[in-house]
Amino acid sequence: MSTISTHLRNFKEPTKEQLTQLFFSLPIEPQTSEIQNNGKEKETKGSNEELERMEISAMLTLGVQGVEEPAQGKLYLIPPYLCFASHDRKSVRFTVPLCTIRRVERLNARAGVYALGLSLWHQMKIVVQLTSLRPTADLFCSLLRDALKAELQRGQMKLVKGFVKSCYSEILVAAGEEKEGEAKVEDPSPDSPDYMYLGGLGLKFKFPGDPKKLREASKTKLWTTYLKAHGRNLTLLRYPQCTRLVQVGLPNRLRGEMWETLSGSIYLRFSNPGAYERILEENKGRISTSTEEIEKDLHRSLPEYSAYQTEEGIGALRRVLQAYSFKNPETGYCQAMNILAAAILIYMAEEQAFWLLEVICDRLLPGYYSPSMHGTLLDQRVFESLVHKCLPIIHEHFQAVDVQLSVASLPWFLSLFINSMPMVFAFRIIDCFFCMGPKVLFQVALAILKINGEQLLQIQDDGGFIHLMRDYFASLGDSAHPASPDPRARAITRFQELLLVSFREFAVITDETILTERRKFRGEVVHSIESFSKRAAIRNLKTLERFTKDQAGLIYDALFKAICIIPPPATALPPPPLLTTKETAEERPETRIGLRTFKVFLSEICTWARSEKIVSNGFQQRVDREVAEHELIDRLFYFWDTSFRGTLSFQDIVSGLDGVMFNDLMENIEWFFNLHDKNKDGFLTRDEVLTLSESLLFIFRFEIGDAYLGAVSRFMSNAFEYGDALLPHPEGHDPEKDAPPQIESNQPYMNLATFRMVVLADEILESFFETDFSGTFRLEPVPMMEIPNSSSGIFGGLWSNITSDDNRKIFNKFTDEIGKSIGKHQVFHRPAIGKFTTLEEPKARESLLTPTMRRTASKASLKTPESPTDSSSEKSRPSESSLLTVDQGSTSTTSLASSMYSPMPSMFQAAANAAALMERTPFAIDDAKDDEDDSDLDSEIEDDGVMDEVDAFLEEHDSGVTDAERELAKDLINAEPVK
Amino acid sequence: MADAASGSTDRSVQVKLVLLGEAAVGKSSVVLRFVSNEFQANKEPTIGAAFLTQKCRLEDRVLRYEIWDTAGQERFHSLAPMYYRNAQAAVVVYDVTKASSLEKAKTWVKELQRQANPNIVIALAGNKIDLVQPSPSSSSPSSDAEDEADDATATPGEGAAEGGESLRQVPRDEAEAYAQEAGLLFFETSAKTGEGIVEIFTEIAKKIPIDQILASSRGGANRAGVAGGRTGGQQEGGVNLEENTAKGKDGCNC
Repeated sequence: MSTISTHLRNFKEPTKEQLTQLFFSLPIEPQTSEIQNNGKEKETKGSNEELERMEISAMLTLGVQGVEEPAQGKLYLIPPYLCFASHDRKSVRFTVPLCTIRRVERLNARAGVYALGLSLWHQMKIVVQLTSLRPTADLFCSLLRDALKAELQRGQMKLVKGFVKSCYSEILVAAGEEKEGEAKVEDPSPDSPDYMYLGGLGLKFKFPGDPKKLREASKTKLWTTYLKAHGRNLTLLRYPQCTRLVQVGLPNRLRGEMWETLSGSIYLRFSNPGAYERILEENKGRISTSTEEIEKDLHRSLPEYSAYQTEEGIGALRRVLQAYSFKNPETGYCQAMNILAAAILIYMAEEQAFWLLEVICDRLLPGYYSPSMHGTLLDQRVFESLVHKCLPIIHEHFQAVDVQLSVASLPWFLSLFINSMPMVFAFRIIDCFFCMGPKVLFQVALAILKINGEQLLQIQDDGGFIHLMRDYFASLGDSAHPASPDPRARAITRFQELLLVSFREFAVITDETILTERRKFRGEVVHSIESFSKRAAIRNLKTLERFTKDQAGLIYDALFKAICIIPPPATALPPPPLLTTKETAEERPETRIGLRTFKVFLSEICTWARSEKIVSNGFQQRVDREVAEHELIDRLFYFWDTSFRGTLSFQDIVSGLDGVMFNDLMENIEWFFNLHDKNKDGFLTRDEVLTLSESLLFIFRFEIGDAYLGAVSRFMSNAFEYGDALLPHPEGHDPEKDAPPQIESNQPYMNLATFRMVVLADEILESFFETDFSGTFRLEPVPMMEIPNSSSGIFGGLWSNITSDDNRKIFNKFTDEIGKSIGKHQVFHRPAIGKFTTLEEPKARESLLTPTMRRTASKASLKTPESPTDSSSEKSRPSESSLLTVDQGSTSTTSLASSMYSPMPSMFQAAANAAALMERTPFAIDDAKDDEDDSDLDSEIEDDGVMDEVDAFLEEHDSGVTDAERELAKDLINAEPVK
Repeated sequence: MADAASGSTDRSVQVKLVLLGEAAVGKSSVVLRFVSNEFQANKEPTIGAAFLTQKCRLEDRVLRYEIWDTAGQERFHSLAPMYYRNAQAAVVVYDVTKASSLEKAKTWVKELQRQANPNIVIALAGNKIDLVQPSPSSSSPSSDAEDEADDATATPGEGAAEGGESLRQVPRDEAEAYAQEAGLLFFETSAKTGEGIVEIFTEIAKKIPIDQILASSRGGANRAGVAGGRTGGQQEGGVNLEENTAKGKDGCNC
């Protein structure tokens, strides 16, 4: 009664290219839904993919003098985007869609200097000096030209104008220009004709927090200035000032748009116009598990915010969550997404929120909300490891009192602090999160623990931990230094202190740290999720039958491996709604495997369901295992499919195996009989007797020597002899004289008693059914499949399997052979039973049936001249030898071992150890000094202290630019374009 | 906070209790009814688990329940062990109007019996019986606000007004028989009317091996809140719900 998921195995480390895209917040995959809906788009997008990417060293200069220092870094052409990042990867960067580039010109500057002047939308000019060798620079230029041309052809350029109108920043800057000289920037009236921009529920229902306390006006003014000079929305250039302004908190009206811009979701919205509405339209009225779960939570998402007490707010929330679940059916809906969506909808319109949610779930918090929540579990593990490294004393104490960090920290990460601390503070963390990436969550979480370090060492249990954290969060608005004589220090709130500790002391936590740590623990987390679902699957079995829990575990392992190799059909159809209600069918999804997966599974635990070739070449031996194909295996599959659904559940398999693995002689004979009695009437037909013999031959196909072959042949002759003899004779006929009655091959022919008698007449068959047959089913530990990035070889256990007692004899035999012809390649089939190990002179093995005869046997009845004779063994012998040989000859066939069994090179995990994490800079709240000039600050806003706070985040940014370069950059700004 | 971390009463015993069950069966409502004896709009959406505390008097002892109210969504299942770890008691909730919720409850019981603390006291609670009681007038008179709050988590489309046995999908006998067989305490409850809620916690309190906990807990110094020295309740079984509610609000339920 549970699902078996192997998708965690499919995780691939992001490539370097993907990491770059991730860094620049670019969409990683083309929006598939979009492509399906628009054929024309598909073509043009296709051509985009052909456009080459390139990166080149460059120096970026802003077209307006004196605003920013030139920055050394790298320019990336990733059509349809142009990106730049300074060498330190954080101080200066931008991502601009190519379609916002209005003009590119080669600048006429000093000899040997290769510079391009780019005019961007928003009347911005930037200069990039390509500092590579000339041919490289030329190549870059030509690629850029091609990419721009493609964008022009796509008609993207035309879209920019309409799109930017949806952005509040445009209105902000325009208003700022109108009221040039006026000190106070007022928000444009919502009634003005310019009111086109997208906004959130906050516009109508008020934003959380007191605008005065939040110093909205000053922040807005600072942003207006910044956005004017550095571009905005699609063309925003991010200089250190941008990050600092984000760190002091975004102004409410601008917040939604800045989240979009900083997280990169704006590019998704830009390149998928109308997609949100379309998804909703196409799925109108659709009901799924996700939509039902969403309904339950709508009224539980930030219920204290007034908009969510109205249908307007609830409706928006419903649409955004549903649209996401329709677009991403695998993730669907996870609790906590409701809180995120509710939070971001305060600041942005539905369409914006939809794309932002997409970026959060896909890119920023990968796997957090998936059905297994593996991303959440992984990051909790990473967090624990970081606490261990950075705050060892706290870690030790938590270990000592057996408190799990996650009881408190899980919701921090899962809902971005929104339901942990007062919303105004959570939103400021979220500002930073979108600007600086997921590492922010770790930095803040570590800072929380560090700040509360002393009290944390007093806690004794989970409850105490939770209480302490609650009290701390409730006090975030208080002064961090209430007793300080310095009014400036007193003014610092505990929340400001938290951010300062986060970004100063835990600046060592970088994106790389997180990546490395995730890599380190992924295997462990995947393993624990898998073993959890294994335990659950076993626990949820209706019956274990006669198996122990451990044995059921072995069955599960084999099944799991088979599912890894051949995944079952994507969605097993729910059972016909005869007995179960639709509800239950949907809520208890169950993994059921098809025939192909079953074959792999059976090959794991049943010796005759696989063909194993032991290959020796004089230097090494290996076993190539193949999944066998035979009608017997199909038969077994349908035999176990007791509910006739064409698929098997874990329970079906356990019950099925139970039916064969614990049998004694008589039970085995009966089981085998029933397996071949298709219509379950208690009689085998002649055809079925033949099929049964074939099954036996299949099982014995690799046995050494002739013993089994002889046994089957005796079985057949006896079977037909007894069978015919026991047939009811028409009255008046003398059984001695008359030919046996003619009987159709599909008529009832042999009952169990007769079958039993025939089997017991043969010593070899008797012993086969007594012990050997059950013994061909072996529950052995399945070597665990490789979990991505763990270090053991894929089938590390296989070698030890070979040398198990069972097979050692065969091996000894073979070392002799190897001795004879050293270095010679040899292939040997491992027998399914392996009872007889004397290898006689290889001679042609005889089979009872030719392929032609099989056909006749199944179609025509056995009235054919061969069988209805007095069938003595004398007679049948010769006829056998005339038949084709099978099997032993196949040793020479070069069937390929399926590649999945070939050992993969074991991956050695880089033992990346961030020792640097241990270094901690002293807590320095008070020396938040002004490293850089703040002289041109508006005197008016000085007194409300925004800039004090901004300055607190100042860091030394070494742009790595020499004076000479600075000089050159200045020249370039004024340089004339080349004619 | 201070009382939580340091205060101690010799007689008070801390009991960790976890609530499990399918989504929307009313786990949070049960807890809210017990802790504050009223409904409110859900202030705290359950992410992972909500944490609440409530004191409870049993004869001369004060029990301090530390309640972990877990998220019901299936995908949070793998997080549950974190919360039922070391729990001394569990309340597994199902919805009497939804047969599948009892099935889910059974899997929880199985899981607890195999994975959790071996001495864990498990109670099975069939919630929302107000929906299946023949006369809707039986609901408490002062429940306007409560109705609204309850509906927040109630399955949409199920109105209390059209109550009646027809909505019931889980017969009392069946669930009770199962509970007996599995060795569980059994209750049918309504978080909306308050019916049966206190009894769950009282019966659990009686069944908990208090002395054992006292002996094994760290030096007997349980972090309990202010001494619960008030006595005299109308409730049977020694639980003084009214008093506890008041205390819960200013003392623990922070």
